[in-house]
Amino acid sequence: MDPFLLTGTVVCVLSAVLCVGAGVLRRPPNDITILSVAAVELFLLVYTVAAAVRQLTGEPVLGEAWEFWGYLVTALLVPVGACWWALLERTRWSNFVLAAAGLTVFVMLFRMEQIWDGVAGL
Amino acid sequence: MSRNDSRSNSGEHRGEGAARRREPGTSHATSEQGVSSRATGPGRLLIAVYGVFALAATARAAFQITTKFSEAPVAYLLSAVAAVVYVVATFSLARPGVRAFRVSLVAVSVEFVGVLTVGLLSVLDAEAFPHDTVWSGFGRGYGFVPLVLPILGFLWLRRNRPSRT
Repeated sequence: MDPFLLTGTVVCVLSAVLCVGAGVLRRPPNDITILSVAAVELFLLVYTVAAAVRQLTGEPVLGEAWEFWGYLVTALLVPVGACWWALLERTRWSNFVLAAAGLTVFVMLFRMEQIWDGVAGL
Repeated sequence: MSRNDSRSNSGEHRGEGAARRREPGTSHATSEQGVSSRATGPGRLLIAVYGVFALAATARAAFQITTKFSEAPVAYLLSAVAAVVYVVATFSLARPGVRAFRVSLVAVSVEFVGVLTVGLLSVLDAEAFPHDTVWSGFGRGYGFVPLVLPILGFLWLRRNRPSRT
């Protein structure tokens, strides 16, 4: 398994678990849940830089490169959008919204990995 | 009235306060009474998930139609219909007002009929539906969320229907 995908999965799942946990405990979003989503965004930024470097140094995307970057740019917006939507109204449900961000990014990372490896398109 | 009813037992006073602060009590005194409650509490999660599907279905339909439309025009048009339904559902659920409620109801109904019809057809007659849409196999490719989503949508709309006119 690709170390990037592995790291991303850990970060996303950890964030989702923390957020679901806080939601189940009826807490409004707090530093922990918000920072966990920030960690997802930070991972994506690192991933973006790494992906650019890898592609420029002769490790091309085997699938459609523009599709890969389409996913990546969209994924970068997901945690930001989720935080905006979650923090407009701070209830326990905001934490579930934040959890959804982690899960969505995880699925997108998985798809990006498939595209990179040239596994069937949409 | 229903604004209070739907919340009285949820114990989310913080959220209620936040929602009030956000919408200084000007607009929902008359026609929008008790309706904006669709975008609070669990509704926010529902709208967020609808938003993700709106995004995913739109991107997928755009990709299919621009790169390989001639391969399966019907399937890819269905993808586009699904995308429109998700976008409409997302925005109408988030918006206050009786009209937005009705639009939501129509969107969620179309979504439900769509996922059942396309799901059934894709299972019964796989030959005719070899190309995937969001609704193929009852949304199997998306963890069956497309099948569960309209049901939750109906329940949420029922719980937050506009007060009797």
